[in-house]
Amino acid sequence: MDKSGVPTARGLDRLLEALRVLPGVGPRSAQRMAYHLLQHDRAGAEQLAGALAAALAGVRRCARCNNFTEDEICPLCRSPRRDASLLCVVETPADLATVEQTQSFSGMYFVLMGRLSPLDGVGPRDVGLDRLLERATDGVVQEVILATNFTNEGEATAHYIAEMLRARNVKASRIARGVPLGGELEFVDIGTISQAMIDRRTL
Amino acid sequence: MKRRADQQPGFVLHSYPYRETSLIVEAFTRRFGRIALLARGARRPRSAMRGVLLSFQPLRLGWSGGELANLVSAEWAAALQPLAGLALMCGFYLNELILRLVPREDPHEGLFDVYAESLARLSVGAPHAAVLRSFERRLLAELGYAPLLERDAASRPIDPARLYVYEPDRGPAPANGAASGELAVSGRTLLDMAKDDYTRPETRDEARALMRALIGERLHGQSLYTRAVLLELNGL
Repeated sequence: MDKSGVPTARGLDRLLEALRVLPGVGPRSAQRMAYHLLQHDRAGAEQLAGALAAALAGVRRCARCNNFTEDEICPLCRSPRRDASLLCVVETPADLATVEQTQSFSGMYFVLMGRLSPLDGVGPRDVGLDRLLERATDGVVQEVILATNFTNEGEATAHYIAEMLRARNVKASRIARGVPLGGELEFVDIGTISQAMIDRRTL
Repeated sequence: MKRRADQQPGFVLHSYPYRETSLIVEAFTRRFGRIALLARGARRPRSAMRGVLLSFQPLRLGWSGGELANLVSAEWAAALQPLAGLALMCGFYLNELILRLVPREDPHEGLFDVYAESLARLSVGAPHAAVLRSFERRLLAELGYAPLLERDAASRPIDPARLYVYEPDRGPAPANGAASGELAVSGRTLLDMAKDDYTRPETRDEARALMRALIGERLHGQSLYTRAVLLELNGL
């Protein structure tokens, strides 16, 4: 920017380039966003710039659950009301939020921030499996609940964590899958029904 | 590529997120070989394709359009018991071999059938080594590099009692004295491989080393991700 506050062409170009790091933002969306911020919402732009800088400086990974936090250990991990003997493993912070919404789980979490993806070269260290193992074998954790996604990558991740825990005598369980609650078979996709038949249980 | 196709037998090899809600699907089809398809909206929460566009499941695919065609339909063609554990890693390995070695839009119906059969065998717990080695052999053959297993480089029948050194461009040559390394292989192993017989542990070990070297030649020194990830997992 120059003194009068009008963006120089170079400043605008840099902003367009910067906005394109966001998922799903191509050149046209980036242009729309940049013009909006500069023309119509300069206060909003200021706020965005400040929030971004503050988040980058202040937000880090919780030493226990690997989720984003501003503290060394996040509030959830510090809470005395949570059951520290249960550890739920999820792929992303969004997955953690979803499990929390159910209000049916009162244990602790570990966020992998990804999943094993052999075809993309994403290996165990990229998703913090070494740190998870350390956490799960701290003597407090009695059961590890694997809530990774039901994709092939999520399954591979769950399988390997389970194997490693078995070798260390820690109980591992996998969340169930099948027909969604309130689901009518007629409208459920075939893959899910096929899996539900395979995973059926005795009553 | 054909602009419109319907009900084509195929598998998903891999998929990548595209834009906010779509997927780019790397598919392996029987009639058109390996193709890239754009599955619009497939990542939406209620997309009907979510539970269908999974690797290792026989599908029937329909698409239309040019270079990056739009996936129009994807249907479940048969139910395989889902791969789990090491069999799942073997499945990723097969997919990586196809992704790395089979060029796009180059039909390989024979290889497709072997791939489908390999997945079916993995899903019912067949010994992994036998499934992987026969797939690798067929893959090399389809690419025009069929390993020479029943005759040596000079066209003499392989002697099961002899030791050979496999020369990647020529074939097995009788070893003079002691030979070692991944290209050293017994005549017995070569003949077992020709019959896809992997019951002997020595055959399994030698065949794995030999195929690894021959596939390495085709990858021109690049390493496979699945192998690296598996090694790292075994080290934990």
